[in-house]
Amino acid sequence: MPLLSNKVITEVLYWVTRKKWLILAFALSIILFYVPSPEGLTPEGHRTLIIAVTALILIVGEVISLPAVGILILVMEVLLGLDTSDGVASSFMNDAVFFIMGSLMLAVAFVKQGWDSRIALGIIRLTGNKTRNIVFGFTAISALLSSFIGEHTVAALMLPLAMTLIRNTSKDHERVRELAAVLLFSIAYGSLIGSIGTPSGGGRNAILITYLQLFDVSISYIGWMKMVYPLVLLQIPILTILILTSFKPEYKQLDTGVRKLVVEVAKLGEMTGRATLAILIFLLVFAGWVFLSESLGLGTIALMGVFLYLVTGLVRWEDINRNTHWGVIILFGSTISLGSYIKSTGAALWLANHLISITGSEMDAFPIFTDAIIVVLTASLANILSSSATVAVLSPITLNMAADPLHVGMVTAIASSFGYFTAVAAPACTIVYSSGMIRAKDFLRAGWKVGLASTALLLIYANTYWLIFK
Amino acid sequence: MKFLIAIGSKEYSGPTLKLGMRVARAFGADVTIAYVGEKISSFSTSEVLMAQENLDNWEVNRRGVDVLEWAYEILKDQKYIEVENLDEGIGENSLVQTDDDRCEVFLKGTQSDEVKLILRNGEIISQLRGEVSRSEIDVTIIGGSQKRRMAHNLIQYIDSSIFVVNKYDLNQKYKILIAVDDSPNTRKAVKYGTRVSQSFNVPVEMITVSKKDEFGDGYTSAANWAKKFLRRSNISFGHQFLVGEPAQVIYEVAGDNHIIVMGSSTQNPLLKFFKGSKPLNVMETCKCPILIVK
Repeated sequence: MPLLSNKVITEVLYWVTRKKWLILAFALSIILFYVPSPEGLTPEGHRTLIIAVTALILIVGEVISLPAVGILILVMEVLLGLDTSDGVASSFMNDAVFFIMGSLMLAVAFVKQGWDSRIALGIIRLTGNKTRNIVFGFTAISALLSSFIGEHTVAALMLPLAMTLIRNTSKDHERVRELAAVLLFSIAYGSLIGSIGTPSGGGRNAILITYLQLFDVSISYIGWMKMVYPLVLLQIPILTILILTSFKPEYKQLDTGVRKLVVEVAKLGEMTGRATLAILIFLLVFAGWVFLSESLGLGTIALMGVFLYLVTGLVRWEDINRNTHWGVIILFGSTISLGSYIKSTGAALWLANHLISITGSEMDAFPIFTDAIIVVLTASLANILSSSATVAVLSPITLNMAADPLHVGMVTAIASSFGYFTAVAAPACTIVYSSGMIRAKDFLRAGWKVGLASTALLLIYANTYWLIFK
Repeated sequence: MKFLIAIGSKEYSGPTLKLGMRVARAFGADVTIAYVGEKISSFSTSEVLMAQENLDNWEVNRRGVDVLEWAYEILKDQKYIEVENLDEGIGENSLVQTDDDRCEVFLKGTQSDEVKLILRNGEIISQLRGEVSRSEIDVTIIGGSQKRRMAHNLIQYIDSSIFVVNKYDLNQKYKILIAVDDSPNTRKAVKYGTRVSQSFNVPVEMITVSKKDEFGDGYTSAANWAKKFLRRSNISFGHQFLVGEPAQVIYEVAGDNHIIVMGSSTQNPLLKFFKGSKPLNVMETCKCPILIVK
């Protein structure tokens, strides 16, 4: 009689082949644990980096769910003696996590208000029927909106507009492939470039603000906008041109598509009192972010907005609960916790010093060189992980790489939005890709140009315009 | 019986769907037609779901619905389903979300109780395993794939019979080729092959292949049983004992105008994983439809 049935052996084999990266990650962490700590790195720093490497392998390999990775990080922090259980718990929850939670919930609330139809009419009235003008309009609106309400919210709002225009132009996908690409990339990339415009544009911004506080650096909502918003505005026309040169839309005018869209939107009628109330609440939240975020925190204000949307009945808890990725919140909280231990154990300084020693005197002589390394490192990681996880893990290191933490921190945050190269790099890209109208290789087709332009622009901008803030 | 037909796109899945439905009709089976879309990044699942719900509000089809609608039209034209209003489609309102990565539509079949259209997202083997387990599927039908180790993963991990529709030509008249040996699943394979032959109204060819120039009692008794079964089923057939490497011999006999039917291997899964098996070798070698019966 066999010890195990064929069915059991098959299940075990299936598990092993699917989870080989999990086995590899644990094997590597055990090996690294028994390797002596490198010179200059504390034992606690060594153990922190083991956790970071393990988590990175598991996230990239996608072998276990993201919440499971987040939970593993917290458990390993306690088991490897980085802190007590209470200490780890308190490092997990802070205003940045509140903000990520609040902004994900606000996204659900915003999408439920039906603002997309008003946005559609507004864009069409401004841009008319010409394709290139509509592309510019989509890019600009996506960028401007995402700087306040986040890229994934804007992508979710704008996607139906683009799909409706495409469908109303032609039902044959093959005949509108390039048109679909220009419209959808204008939404995705427009949302990305705008998401760094204000602190409320993305979770990564709130995470950076939290880390800067550890370096006794604070920046107000308006202060952030003064530093970054001109870059957002500069990138809008450049991005439009790059998209239109990467893809050649089949139709130069979208008369039929626009006309049908206007008719569909007109059927929805005038704005109701509920929609007006929803906008008022949003304006209250925005005012809170501008004037009160330094005292109350971005996250608390975001949660207050969620509360208002719930008590006024503008959104139901069931919708928020269903559409909020609680697992990702656990992961982001864990990566922030990990980032704080990367800093406090000295691992961040050790890594930063090693990076500096590799590149040598060039970094002192040419500060732009430091920025370039940070941009390449951050953008590469952000195209594999999310921008928030990238900033959470990398910021403690990059903030130690130069004398001005604010400068390098902002470069890190902005570079983490360069998720142009793959469909999984950012939620906005995943959302437009999920439409089925663009292919994975289309991201490379446009992405390398946009990435190069964004990098060059950031390096020049950070080393010229930002001098007035020093 | 329950069949699962996995379709990938309108451009390439026509033969799979049509042959699959024809075979399902032969068995009077309930059918689930599944479109498996690409895996959504774990970081963005909720955001993508939210965007898809917003698309529903604008009556814009989410990805994959157009493929299901195409499948629906074929089912309607070939009269596999009952439709009250000939102009109606499946419609957005018919899609019911059952899990985060699964939607379904129920239709009334003409040859069976139900026909289901399913929309799933994720890694194909994992999704098919889930559907096979959930719906207790007897036969999984899928088109041929160039993906590395796809054949291996299908045979190794899907807990149902596997029918791979390789290079099926709708205009060609196919014959049934049943590979008979002493494996436990051979008798079930003969029964399946007989049903398919009756439905297609084509004769059966049987072969028994041995690497050595002798055929043991197991092989000869299996062949005799198969001949008796086919005689009783009033199917015209021929049988040959052939010597050679089984996969190569079956490939040469089958050519491109046979549907191969054979039993799956019952050897230890670990051995199969490392050394392969006869059905896997046949599947990787032959360029025609093949049904591996478990």
